[in-house]
Amino acid sequence: MTITRREFAVGASGVLLGSVAAPFVRRAGAADSTIRIGVVNSMSGGLAPYAQEGQPAFEFIIKKINAEGGIKSKGGAKIELIQADDTSQPARAATEARRLITEENVHLLTGTILSAQMLAMTPVLDELKMPTLSVWAGGARSNYMFTLGYPYDRGYAQSMHDFVVFLRDAQKFDIKTAVMGYSNYEAGQQVNKFLTEKLKASGIQIVGEAPLDIKAQDQTSAMVRIRSLKPDVVVGLVTPRDGILLHQARYNLNYHGSIFCGGTGGYSDLSLWKDLGPEIGKAVLTRNLFGMTGFSPGAKIPAMQAIIAELRDVAKLDRIGQGAIQYAQAARVLQMVLESSASLERDALLDAFKKVYIPFGDPHLYVAKPRGLRFAADRLLEDGSAMFIQWTPEQQQQVVFPKEFAQTAPRPRT
Amino acid sequence: MRQEFYKTLLSPLWLVVLALAVVVPPLLPSYYLHIVILSLVYVALASAWNIVGGMAGQISLAHSLFIGTGAMLSSALLLKLGINMWLGLVISALVSGAMGAIIAWIDFRFQLGHLSFVLITLAFAEMGTVIVEGWEFLGGASGLLLPRDTGNFWAFQFGGGIGAFWAMLVLAIASILINVAVLNAPLGYYLRTIRDNENAARAIGVNILRYKIAAMVISAMLSSVIGTAYVRYLTFADPYLLVSPIIIIEIVLFATVGGLGRAYGPAFGALLLVPLGEILRGKLGGTLPGLHYFIYGVVVIAVILMSPRGLLPLFENWWARLRSRPVATKQG
Repeated sequence: MTITRREFAVGASGVLLGSVAAPFVRRAGAADSTIRIGVVNSMSGGLAPYAQEGQPAFEFIIKKINAEGGIKSKGGAKIELIQADDTSQPARAATEARRLITEENVHLLTGTILSAQMLAMTPVLDELKMPTLSVWAGGARSNYMFTLGYPYDRGYAQSMHDFVVFLRDAQKFDIKTAVMGYSNYEAGQQVNKFLTEKLKASGIQIVGEAPLDIKAQDQTSAMVRIRSLKPDVVVGLVTPRDGILLHQARYNLNYHGSIFCGGTGGYSDLSLWKDLGPEIGKAVLTRNLFGMTGFSPGAKIPAMQAIIAELRDVAKLDRIGQGAIQYAQAARVLQMVLESSASLERDALLDAFKKVYIPFGDPHLYVAKPRGLRFAADRLLEDGSAMFIQWTPEQQQQVVFPKEFAQTAPRPRT
Repeated sequence: MRQEFYKTLLSPLWLVVLALAVVVPPLLPSYYLHIVILSLVYVALASAWNIVGGMAGQISLAHSLFIGTGAMLSSALLLKLGINMWLGLVISALVSGAMGAIIAWIDFRFQLGHLSFVLITLAFAEMGTVIVEGWEFLGGASGLLLPRDTGNFWAFQFGGGIGAFWAMLVLAIASILINVAVLNAPLGYYLRTIRDNENAARAIGVNILRYKIAAMVISAMLSSVIGTAYVRYLTFADPYLLVSPIIIIEIVLFATVGGLGRAYGPAFGALLLVPLGEILRGKLGGTLPGLHYFIYGVVVIAVILMSPRGLLPLFENWWARLRSRPVATKQG
């Protein structure tokens, strides 16, 4: 079959006319008994793994809420999810947020919304006054944005600092010097800035930096630099991809002179073993390495154990990592906001976000928050703390910090 | 040159554009107004790039450096040193012009072939990315968040929405008119001669260095100014968008699909492909991730196969054939 120029012209004109006419075509109004939640995710592009892992868990919890009678305070209204793909580009996240708010008439927004997306969406949210829950942003610049992500300062940096000091003071590890080994992107730089200050204030000498080029295909040069500086500890925020390359380089150089500690994905992601292979994994992950995480299958938290079992046995998800748990938690936070909100007006929903509180021990608190989950005045989590794990040769995690959730003591330096 | 330029400038078509600009934007919902603004940004950028890429035939990938300079430097000057963004716009444009001149000089001095020029400019673009991501003054990898746009014109604010639309419309028209002016001036003839055969141009006495530098400086400064206006509209200066080679690849695509080297070709391509890409993503991106890329790709491939010189020449041919068709006379 061949397409003539005339046929092509007709088709192209149809596409163009459709595009032009679209704004003037009235959308069928949503039923009153549904609550529309816009979900801005990176479904394609470099950040897609976040949503690919988290979205199925999010949808499972939302379906469960609907099946159990919907939002009871709103007459059993069911939640409808309206998806959007930002293609991993912050400017497009802003465009999609605008579309969901003005064209799809959503009541709330949520989604992966990493920090760059958060910044790009800020003017849109402020202009349209849309309450929004980010699953992963490390900050919240809009007055309408709340986030479940670890704050750069009192989340990532404080947790890493506390763990290093715990190793030194409580576990008697010989730690005097540090090299900042971090993924050289927006979040990595921010965390590094806060962490450097905190470590210096605790008497640890920073002997150098080894920023990891996020576009690099190999991190041998960074590892060579670390080896030449030979610090007691290498610490920083590392993405899964950079973590894999760093661990490979460490294996190739057979370097074990420092303790590696950091997070989150580059040290704690369950997929590390698969990507590195058992031989490299056993050689580097189980030796002088501790990973920061908000989730660990072994953590002594009944609600976390229960959601893992539910996602595995009922939802039949094959990938249950930190991303899945974080999204499941987001669904529960949204449920609480909708239940407690006086109405579905934006101001009422905003007030409801400010009053969210899920205490430690609640069956709906899936993440490790000893002080419970609530938002501080800056709309970030009040309790930004995280856990630290060590790997076993059986590819299992053992929580070693903090003591409330710890299964065992940190393995001594070898 | 003057005759053609003034003929274009005084064309009644501008009255139609003006009428549409006054009537349509207030009727558009916020999302579709945003798409129109975005389309105008790319009309301006593709037209600016066309002076070098289309008329001189030099496929420059360094323009992300100029757009990024306009966006990031003017934002940093405002946020870090309190320099008014109008002044920041001028400083950024001058810096971009200087960088453009250096790149053009390198091209001339080392007699770079087409492929070498593409690679050299890509290297400059990558250097720009590395510098911005690693330099705290320019916001590093985190970027910079500008103050809210309250519509204070003297602070380079246009009030978002309709105000941003007018600002971008002015830039898009200015960019197209500069294309028309260059195309019909001696500079345009020299650039096309250089594009078609550089050795022949040199043999007949065309000053290659002077005209290459002139084209690059005009194009770089214009791109920088558009970059400053674009970042003011976005409010967030995102280095991964504004200094990324991705933006220049999109611009080259729009210009190629519309018609390289023509005054209106790149604008035509941007007006076609930006709304198409945005609306396809909006309609399909959430439910069938990646499908919008596929459809977009198929449309682009189809256009390039149907009309390798771009869509504008194709429509011009159709129009010419329509006009030259003999009028049917009644028989009997």
